[in-house]
Amino acid sequence: MTALAAPARRAWAPLFLCSLLVVTWALIESFGDVFYTRTAVRMFILLLVVLGLQIFSGNSGVLSFGHVAFMAAGAYASALLTIPTEIKSFTFLTMPHFLKFWVFPAQRGWLGGTLAGAGFALVFAVITAPPIVRLAGVPAGIATLAILVVVQVFIVQTSAITRGTSTMIGVPPTTSFLQVLVWALIFLFAAFAFQQSRFGLRLRASRENERAARSVGVRVPIERAIAWILSGFVVGVAGALYGHYFVTFSPYDFYFNTNGFDIILLPIAMLVVGGMTSVTGAVVGCYFVMIVYTAIDRLEVNGLAGAKAPSGTTNLVLALVLLMTLVLRPKGITGGKEIPWPSDWRLPRRLRPTAGAEAAPNE
Amino acid sequence: MTYWIQTILDSIAYGSLFALMALGLSLLFGVMGLMNFAYGELIMAGAYTMFYTRGSGWLGMILMTIVVVTILSLLMELVAFRPLRKASPVVLLISSFAVSYALEALGWMTVGKGPQKGVQPYPWLTTQFDTGGILISRLEIATWIVTVVLLVGMTLLLKRTALGIQLRASTEDFRMAQLTGVRANWVISAAFGITGLLASAVAVLYVLRTGAVDPSIGQGPLLVAFVGGVIGGLGSLPAAALGGFVLGVVINLLGARLPILLKSHTVMFAFLVVIAILVFLPGGLVSLRAGRLVAWWRRRRPTTFEGASA
Repeated sequence: MTALAAPARRAWAPLFLCSLLVVTWALIESFGDVFYTRTAVRMFILLLVVLGLQIFSGNSGVLSFGHVAFMAAGAYASALLTIPTEIKSFTFLTMPHFLKFWVFPAQRGWLGGTLAGAGFALVFAVITAPPIVRLAGVPAGIATLAILVVVQVFIVQTSAITRGTSTMIGVPPTTSFLQVLVWALIFLFAAFAFQQSRFGLRLRASRENERAARSVGVRVPIERAIAWILSGFVVGVAGALYGHYFVTFSPYDFYFNTNGFDIILLPIAMLVVGGMTSVTGAVVGCYFVMIVYTAIDRLEVNGLAGAKAPSGTTNLVLALVLLMTLVLRPKGITGGKEIPWPSDWRLPRRLRPTAGAEAAPNE
Repeated sequence: MTYWIQTILDSIAYGSLFALMALGLSLLFGVMGLMNFAYGELIMAGAYTMFYTRGSGWLGMILMTIVVVTILSLLMELVAFRPLRKASPVVLLISSFAVSYALEALGWMTVGKGPQKGVQPYPWLTTQFDTGGILISRLEIATWIVTVVLLVGMTLLLKRTALGIQLRASTEDFRMAQLTGVRANWVISAAFGITGLLASAVAVLYVLRTGAVDPSIGQGPLLVAFVGGVIGGLGSLPAAALGGFVLGVVINLLGARLPILLKSHTVMFAFLVVIAILVFLPGGLVSLRAGRLVAWWRRRRPTTFEGASA
């Protein structure tokens, strides 16, 4: 009994979260209309970003504002390799020859495109890893933000390759809801596996006490680099999926936007609100923030009882939720713990984990 | 030649603005480890205060702006940062991010709606008059004077007053300062108050310069001041101010002279430099220079002595 209980306990949290995702998918697929499907796909793509962020920030304790840069890398690389050749030949008139001769003929399928995009994001992560992994705390936050700005300026200014501020044309709409779900499930397990792996354990040790971890032989920069690169891949997949679902995207889709859908703050808010240090926190935070966000967004668009909330309300509420979480519940809704085994639910009821357990099945 | 002198004088006025901003950023960073992203929204608030009080004469407008921005800065501390006093700098960073978003969203919701707003420039302030072939406006002169006055005032405040000594002590080592009887709340509130004051000055000078007002107005200047501050060294007040000043001057000079292609990528290189500085010189460029000089000086003196005795 106990021999069987240990693996079952270990598999419990990922299986629970997976079934939550699958149930959400099934409900939306069978009952939802276009709006719900779009929102759910957007949420699942954001979930991928949050999972990527959790793999790096949650385990290392180093906050990153720059992961959306990987999303942009994935989206653009995947788009370039999947847009039909005829369209490319008139939308990228000024592309330099050394790219032209292999980018133009390339027409990958959905899987090839996604993997190519994510692979490009991974390469980008490998390049950016050396400076980032040497930093922690506020400098790391600033440096990751700097990466985001660099990528944004590059995309906007290098119009020969990226079409600059114009939107992409001819990206094949190959992303389906099921596809996003499968990727989410894969990376959910990957996040759990990474957390339990020796790399994850070492990284979490360095999060709790960097000096102590160093003193027992943890090479903190290397462990951070592994997480950074893995998370870059995950977020790259999210970017590629985003590109092939929303089809017409521009650089501003991957940058600050205080007057509309803001993709920088949302994943960070989701992770912090849910509880950075656990994968359960990432999922719960994603659901919670997305539900609140969508509700307020509906208020803005449709209004309630004739009164419309002014545009900008969503971001105001989002920022306030984030602030309140930081003040009232710094470790997030889940308290940074994974969802406990069912028989443990009642014991620490007055303490923390119940919130996570109850918030999750609500949806 | 006169064109160059003119451009340089204008660049100095432009750079002064960022020196003031970087000073404000550096003060908060030093005292409580806070990298305040919401600083740009203080300027936004100042800009809109100017827009709504533009009818009440320039003096009334400026006074109102100072009052509103300073109060907002103090409020910001009270609501968003005081409850997080014990939290880590990273949490403060997220919190300032959230505050920045909240204020900007608030700006879009209320004052940002409708047609483009702007503060009509005062002709007597912006008209350029001829001094020996060089065109200067009163606004530029005002910018230099305000910057110099504020910098001198800040220096006197920091060096000569009890508050200044407490502030500097807190910048060095916050916990130690508290142990010696510095009241944390008072010092931090004071730092936010001073920041607000600086921000209001920047807002007034910036808006009089550009005219247009919108909820994102603070982001551009914040970015420059922030990059300049990091390059100069956020940990030290004069270094950050110098960094902001130099970057402002350089940007204005480049903007006047650089071909479009290079100009468009300047921001990218600026941020690459930021990353490099953070990794290799966490104290900023100025700290390197000073440290090198001091080390060189120390190394130099004993050797000359030994050389003399031998």
